[in-house]
Amino acid sequence: MKKRTLLSILYLLYYITLIAQDKPDITFNRILPEDFSITKLKVDTSMGAVIIADVGSSSFEGNNKGWFTLVYKHQRRIKIINKKGYDLARVEIPLYQSVRSENKEKLDNLKASTYNLVNGVVVESKLDKQSIFEEKLNKNHLLKKFTMPAVKEESLIEISYTIKSDFLFNLQPWHFQGAYPRVWSEYEVDIPRFFEYVYSRHGYNAFDINSVKNKFSTYIVRNYDSYIMGGTKVYTITSNNIINRWVIKNVPALKEEKFTTSINNHISSVEFQLSGQQFPDEAHKDIMGTWVDLSKELLNGEDFGKGLDKYNGWMNEDMKLIKIGTGDQLDQAKNIYEYIKKSIHNKGIRNIDLSAPLKEIFRTKSGYAEDINLLLVAMLRHQDIDAKPVILSTRSNGVTDEKYPLIQRFNYVICAANIDGKTYYLDASQPHLGFNKLPEYCYNGSGRVISDTAPIVYFSADSLQETKLTSIALFKEDKKPGSLSGAVNIEMGYYESCRARNRISENGKEDFEKKLKANYISNLSIEDIKTEDEKNDELPMKLSYNIAVNNPKNSSILYFNPMLDQGYNENIFSNAERSYPVEMSYQKDETYLIYIEIPEGYVIDEIPRSAKVSLNSGEGFFEYLIEKTDKQINLRSRIKLNKANFAAEDFTSLRNFFELILKKHAEQIVFKKK
Amino acid sequence: MRKYIVLLVAGCCYFLSSTAQNKYAVNLIPTQLLAHANVVKRMEEIRVDIRDAGNATIIHKYALTIFNTGGDGEAELVEWYGQLIGIESVEGTLYDASGKKIKSLKRNDIEDVSGTSSSSLADDNRLKKHNFNCRNYPYTIEYEIATVYRGIFYLPRWIPVENEKYAVEKSKLIVKCPLDYKLRYKTFNYPKEPVISTVKQAVVYEWGVENLPPYIVEDYQPQWHEITPAVYLAPTNFEMQHYSGSMGDWTNLGKFGYTLNHDRDILPENIKKRVHALTDGLKTNPEKIKILYEYLQENTHYISIQLGIGGWQTFDANYVATKGYGDCKALSNYMYSLLKEAGIKSYYTWIKAGENNNSFLDDFPSNQFNHCIVCVPQAKDTIWLECTSQTLPMGYLSGFTSNRNALLIDETGGKLVRTPFYKKTDNTKIRKIKATVNKEGQLIASSITAYKAEQQDNLELLLGAYSKEKMGERLQTKLNLPSYTIDKFNYTINKAAPFPVITEMIDLTANNYCPISGKRMFINPNILNLFFAKINDATTRKFDIKLPDAFIEIDSVEINIPSGYKPESVPDNSVIVNKFGSYKTKFILSPSKIIYIRELQQNGGRFPASDAVGLAEYFNSVVVADRTRLVFVQETDAK
Repeated sequence: MKKRTLLSILYLLYYITLIAQDKPDITFNRILPEDFSITKLKVDTSMGAVIIADVGSSSFEGNNKGWFTLVYKHQRRIKIINKKGYDLARVEIPLYQSVRSENKEKLDNLKASTYNLVNGVVVESKLDKQSIFEEKLNKNHLLKKFTMPAVKEESLIEISYTIKSDFLFNLQPWHFQGAYPRVWSEYEVDIPRFFEYVYSRHGYNAFDINSVKNKFSTYIVRNYDSYIMGGTKVYTITSNNIINRWVIKNVPALKEEKFTTSINNHISSVEFQLSGQQFPDEAHKDIMGTWVDLSKELLNGEDFGKGLDKYNGWMNEDMKLIKIGTGDQLDQAKNIYEYIKKSIHNKGIRNIDLSAPLKEIFRTKSGYAEDINLLLVAMLRHQDIDAKPVILSTRSNGVTDEKYPLIQRFNYVICAANIDGKTYYLDASQPHLGFNKLPEYCYNGSGRVISDTAPIVYFSADSLQETKLTSIALFKEDKKPGSLSGAVNIEMGYYESCRARNRISENGKEDFEKKLKANYISNLSIEDIKTEDEKNDELPMKLSYNIAVNNPKNSSILYFNPMLDQGYNENIFSNAERSYPVEMSYQKDETYLIYIEIPEGYVIDEIPRSAKVSLNSGEGFFEYLIEKTDKQINLRSRIKLNKANFAAEDFTSLRNFFELILKKHAEQIVFKKK
Repeated sequence: MRKYIVLLVAGCCYFLSSTAQNKYAVNLIPTQLLAHANVVKRMEEIRVDIRDAGNATIIHKYALTIFNTGGDGEAELVEWYGQLIGIESVEGTLYDASGKKIKSLKRNDIEDVSGTSSSSLADDNRLKKHNFNCRNYPYTIEYEIATVYRGIFYLPRWIPVENEKYAVEKSKLIVKCPLDYKLRYKTFNYPKEPVISTVKQAVVYEWGVENLPPYIVEDYQPQWHEITPAVYLAPTNFEMQHYSGSMGDWTNLGKFGYTLNHDRDILPENIKKRVHALTDGLKTNPEKIKILYEYLQENTHYISIQLGIGGWQTFDANYVATKGYGDCKALSNYMYSLLKEAGIKSYYTWIKAGENNNSFLDDFPSNQFNHCIVCVPQAKDTIWLECTSQTLPMGYLSGFTSNRNALLIDETGGKLVRTPFYKKTDNTKIRKIKATVNKEGQLIASSITAYKAEQQDNLELLLGAYSKEKMGERLQTKLNLPSYTIDKFNYTINKAAPFPVITEMIDLTANNYCPISGKRMFINPNILNLFFAKINDATTRKFDIKLPDAFIEIDSVEINIPSGYKPESVPDNSVIVNKFGSYKTKFILSPSKIIYIRELQQNGGRFPASDAVGLAEYFNSVVVADRTRLVFVQETDAK
């Protein structure tokens, strides 16, 4: 008997703990004095504030416009620990609005209060309605803004609201992670069977709860109809809903680190996309469709493909401005590319839709990147060159989904031209980019060719190589014993050249030379800077200048850094650890060669030792090879990384690899007077 | 004969029409304006028509020729508006290099966007934007914008040269006001008097410049208005919404400030009680001020809200008491009200805040303010309170508002006074490092640095905003060492008057800090304080040199070196003393230890352009000396 009681108590305890784990440790709208304590929290409290509970849900209800409305509810409790956390007391709620109709998302039931513990008593300060401001962000978005009243160190804040939205594509995503740690982050999505959404998740934090339930629900949809008495028709629809619920507990704050394409790829989150609908007794309607559907839709769309194949008679006249020439297709393509690149102003990256008709883009000589590249496609096609748009997502915009045609993930358009069996990928929006080159930010995984078959194409940073060669020769100065002079020749990397060309065209050559000269200090000075292929965007740029190493006369010992103080002098991987992958823009291959004549009147006392090391067996290497004779020294330093993306676990070996480079690059040659 | 006349007339017409059409042809620009120019202002006319104290219209017409991408930024039209300024019309035209019209601005091309900055909760700033986005250089844009000022508390400034590499062919400022209106103005780098005429019951003032070649920005150059022609305007009588005032002198401007804000100091009963509970038991005013200031810091924080006249009028004390937040005006007014309740007289004070403290014109009473603080005069020392900071110690203003004029406001009007000046000897950074280098060249160091007064301002802001973790990340990337790990760090803030001190303690390990080549080891004893400033183009210097604030840095470094090494090369001690400051280093060697002492003093102040060569040489020698290394050689065992 006794044993049984014990067992049942144990069972009860077990049951209680189970329940306790299934919901946040607090009750919204009921603030107890003990809630102010932070001693039990299992998250980092040094950020100044903690989100104690962040609970959201999305569901549907029938509306009286004959359709459905999305209902998003959000409840949040915040603990302010000190003043650094006051940011969380400022709230912004974005609302979507339609450009075409009056319709917009509605903010309902907004309740927000700050709670302070005054002499052991909980005192509530409510947000008053006059303190809520509205800002028109752009034509599609409004912002409701407010700051919580009476916020002090130690305060608790609770905010809850509902957003009602007739825009079914706008099923709210959920971020389980952010700038402040979260003790409990939960999202529940209750979707009727007749709407199909696909969802995708990101991040590395495992779900503590990931449950799916079914539930019967009844929806009442009203529609105004003048033929009916009373004017309203009422429909009742039932559905066996699917309810997904996700919870992550004790989520740490997210930190952005160097060599990250987009932090959004790494935040723990779920996102949704409306893919189809299936009403009882109706045919299935595919909304998201396939890549091929999407591609067709884009091709027929007024603001994407429609203008590409039209006769575009206006081009007949305007194309005369371009010296297309009578050469083969490749020549013609190059001439058109060059013309567009040099004469159409790039207003930036927007999305994949045309901001104006192609004719308008051409006439105003300005457009966003997608406008410019779609114009390129149209003009190439006008010359009967096989050209197709390719859509992709730039690195900072985050990765795309290879499986689902989630159009809103894409933000960039380039052009693929097939000429004599070879495909050239073109981006005419960059004033200094060569033919068949793409900007670094395009190398972000996959893209889709917008054509009848919509094939996938890959642009991987791992496939991109940046090669740089520096060669230097230094000769002894007979008239100035101890001093050296000579020439530096640099074949810059391609992307380094693009950056230099942009800098020169923005700030002028003088400024470029000034900054280059400023790199050399103490006894080094450079002059007579020359560039080669500065205006030829197809080739990497070459840079050459004269250099003088001025050593004091009659010094008994000379110390000389053979990298001329231009080697690596800071570890680019400075953090102690890393929680997500290292994503660089390209593979690297940097070679540095120097020939040094031994200064007049001196002999070598000591030179650094040669070294060679490889990174993670075959992912890269560093070599530092030095040779000497009585008259001269030859050094070759080469850094090669065979890939651009490294796993988080490789971080330490990368760090150590660069540390060795730093060490060798700092070493000195010592000359002694004869 | 007749034929001749006809021909002549036709010729004239042709001539007239062609010049009218091509007034913006690029080949008409005088050649002396072209060198280094990204932009040439072809013409500009600012017509200010002051109707009365409550109304003015401004018509701004200008044309810019853009020569390269560096000038593209100037081609964008950005016009702010809000409750106090309205935009009536905008016209624009684009021309090509020959001066031929390419297109005109269409109404729909104008973007209308919110100008609310991300740091602001609410304001009514909006802006209209337009850009022809041309890139066939050179091209010319022409705009004409008509705005109305609802009240002339502000009036536009005329600064024809708006940027570096920006030449001006012609620019004019024309101000018209009623005969009985006294216009006030102040000119800079403008050697002439304005042309004044009377037209139909109005006085017209006209200023103009022609053919100003472009400047190139120089390091440490003075304020813009000190180096290029400018005219600042100010009203005598003015209105703002339903308030009126006069700014003929500081007293009257202060009176206006008082009228705007008085009777806004009524505290709710509970706060009044709280004030008495906090202060009644205290004996001295400084004690009371301190406790009330800390009460303010604990219970309020800064949020910017600026709507119409609310840009100048404060929210009342009750608002701050209930919400717990406010902007600089509301928080200063609240502080003033708390002090008043405690029986302490203080002043609500207008000031021009910002790192640069020399642009205030004390001889030109006008609206030059952008911030608000509180001044509490005391028998001994005046106490100044920055009410938007949750962390500053009582009485310390920081470089944001120190050493400048401020307008004290009360019922008698405004009075201009100076805020405290923090001297070279106040702004100190004293560092002590104890370090050990091992045989692999690894450095393990403990550093303790005391930052005082303005030297601690930046750190103070960071510590107020960053978590400990984020401060650690910052240290992990900020130090000028090749490769290092922060093993431990800590900051302590000492708010003791009169100057706050932040003490930074860092333990770090820097691998390969001392390069080893064979038997030699190279050690730079200046571990954490490398000097970077350099001056370019000292030989062609045009403008005076303005060195930022004065300070003293002293670094004392002790480095234990591994046994078996003896010095081969030791830099000479340096002593450089000049008008800019001084730089002194001392190297003391014992068999196992290097002691290095570095003292850098900067005097601050203004120096003539001819000093640039001397300053560049001085800065260069500090840059080089800071990087000089000691060389040690491993002793070989005697054979």
